[in-house]
Amino acid sequence: MFDINYTFHWNQAFRALPQMLDGALITLQIAVLSMIIGIVLGVALAVAKEARLAPLRWFAVTWIEVARNTPALFQVYMIYFGIPAVLQLVAGAFGINFRAMGINIFYLDSYWAVLVGIAFNNAGYLAETFRGGLRAVPPTQTRAARSLGFGAFAAFRLIVLPQMFRAVFHPMTNQMVWAILMTSIGIFVGLNTDLTGVTQELNARTFRTFEFFALAAAIYYVIAKIVTGGARLIAWRLFRY
Amino acid sequence: MLGTSVTWGDITFMMTGAGLTLAITFWAMLGGTLAGVVFGLIRAQSPWYVNYSMGTVLDVLRSVPLLIQFILFNSFQSILGWGMNPFVVGCVVLAAYTSAFCTEIVRGGILAVPITTRRAARSLGMNYWQDMTYIVLPLGTRVMLPSWIGLTLGVMKDTALVYAIGVIELLRSSQIIITRKPHEALVILAIAGLIYFLVSFPVSRLGAHLEKKWREND
Amino acid sequence: MKLPVMLGAAAMTLSLAATPVFADKLDDIIASGVLRCAVTLDFPPMGSRDDNNNPIGFDVDTCNDLAAALGVDAEIVETPFPDRIPALVSGRADVGVASTSDTLERAKTIGFTIPYFAFTNVVLTREDTGIGSYEELAGKNLGSVAGVYEAIALEEDFNAWDAGGSFRTFQSQADVFLALNQGQIDATVVTGTVAAATVESGNFDGFVIAGDAPYLADYVSVIALREEYGLLNYLNLFVHQQYRTGRYHELFEKWVGGGATPPSLMVPGTYY
Repeated sequence: MFDINYTFHWNQAFRALPQMLDGALITLQIAVLSMIIGIVLGVALAVAKEARLAPLRWFAVTWIEVARNTPALFQVYMIYFGIPAVLQLVAGAFGINFRAMGINIFYLDSYWAVLVGIAFNNAGYLAETFRGGLRAVPPTQTRAARSLGFGAFAAFRLIVLPQMFRAVFHPMTNQMVWAILMTSIGIFVGLNTDLTGVTQELNARTFRTFEFFALAAAIYYVIAKIVTGGARLIAWRLFRY
Repeated sequence: MLGTSVTWGDITFMMTGAGLTLAITFWAMLGGTLAGVVFGLIRAQSPWYVNYSMGTVLDVLRSVPLLIQFILFNSFQSILGWGMNPFVVGCVVLAAYTSAFCTEIVRGGILAVPITTRRAARSLGMNYWQDMTYIVLPLGTRVMLPSWIGLTLGVMKDTALVYAIGVIELLRSSQIIITRKPHEALVILAIAGLIYFLVSFPVSRLGAHLEKKWREND
Repeated sequence: MKLPVMLGAAAMTLSLAATPVFADKLDDIIASGVLRCAVTLDFPPMGSRDDNNNPIGFDVDTCNDLAAALGVDAEIVETPFPDRIPALVSGRADVGVASTSDTLERAKTIGFTIPYFAFTNVVLTREDTGIGSYEELAGKNLGSVAGVYEAIALEEDFNAWDAGGSFRTFQSQADVFLALNQGQIDATVVTGTVAAATVESGNFDGFVIAGDAPYLADYVSVIALREEYGLLNYLNLFVHQQYRTGRYHELFEKWVGGGATPPSLMVPGTYY
């Protein structure tokens, strides 16, 4: 059962460590940007889902449900390969052929496709988290703020939001870790600069799958731990009474 | 079909892929839940050193991308010469991954039952297993089931990643068809997305419904 | 007990005990009656699927020939490019007939036969990009399959040009074509036979071949485990005989055809 017919070449993997750490930076960059976009859009969607205007509500519901009920890989794949097809189709319906005009408006680099895809996914999940968080803020808070002379937006921004973020800080940290792990699916849409992308190229060149991916797994683990540790520190600084 | 060149043969091919997606989900959930219940029980009531070391191992599974776990385990079992087929590899890795989350759900469910309630049960003369079966299980389930349903849906979506080790599940089968009919990429992807959605959405509604209903009775 | 009987018994025990120890992969294949070939099926005309999604192609036929030579049944194990080695090492497949470039880097891990095919690389682009030659790729958005021969060569040149644009790698040839089709990349460098088959298939509107890429010929080999000398020996002879008997040219005509000459597997003025 443990008849190993394989000699590990760890040295080869460690030599590639600098390259992989560069990849880790890109991974982190995508995750952070997608989180920032996701938080902004997530708040907007959470509010829109409770909006009085029906189309706004439908839009938010569609976004949230698609983001939550289809695989992230599917979403990224769709953004990279599907959206250009839609745009082409729409332009074609109007009799416009950008291609013939030599303009490539459909160009979307892998990096951006992954970023947009993960931000889309984050926004959908965070919207539901935020909705829960908004419920946790008593309506009396808004009323008290309004009676103190706050405008509706100011009351929301200064009174409700901070309390909501406190309530949802832990799930947000989880989402951040998720975002980091999710970037790994970038290899399916051509991303070759993030940690998984770099690892996969090294693997394809050398066929040393286990060594390279084990090292990548360790790096991901360390990043995830740093993020959760950092978040705990921030929570402790921000939310102590 | 649908005024496109996508044939019924292609749809059947995709449905076969969808069947595989569901099969992997089933085995992963079965294995993951059984292991998760055992680990959860252990974690909820063992001394800290057991709890911590177990927590760390399970935490690794939650902190490394699933995609990398698939590739890594696949190559690991290759090296050991186990010769598992990709489907089995997919099920095993996903089950281990599921167990890490399920453990937390079970632990949370057990800890959610007030200790006073359990003491009362024990003082009424119930033994440990009676306490577990008649007190903790019914009360804990209310907390656990909605999360468990959420986990099932998460796992079903995660099966898309077995693509990487060559299992022809729903997304991979769609991709194979797109290879031959690239101009239909959008239609094929849309069909794949719709299949995921049609399976996932009703179940997620059910979960939300149960959560709401049970919360009202609290 | 008489001596001949004892000797006979000893010989018997020895042979029974010895068989499993000395049986190598080649024996295993013949004994099991099935040859499992790892083949990549998104790489037409080498490997692809027909309208019923069944495996077909040059590699599939080569595998069938090999199985026939061994007197066993062939079984195609579909492996995306990155999965070829795990499939072999884990014993899910016995040999890989999957257009594997025989790089020295890879030979540290896996055993290669003599080449069974050779590719020349060409530039594949869309009509609307106006790209006419390899030199015009500088500054464009390019893509290829992760880690393959032409990807490594293209990336080197891309970095040397340093003229902007992007270089992306995908997990399968199909994704590269799709990205090119959708405008995510402007051009790719791909093996000539694959480019010709793809253009001819008519699946992708506006794909054109824009000249050769100035790379050395990309020789691809059948692969097996590094330590399976018996099998590798057999495979070497098999590949050689495919060439010698003209079967290689026959298969080339069947899958590539179009008046093209089959690439010579001989390196002029030298030996392999």
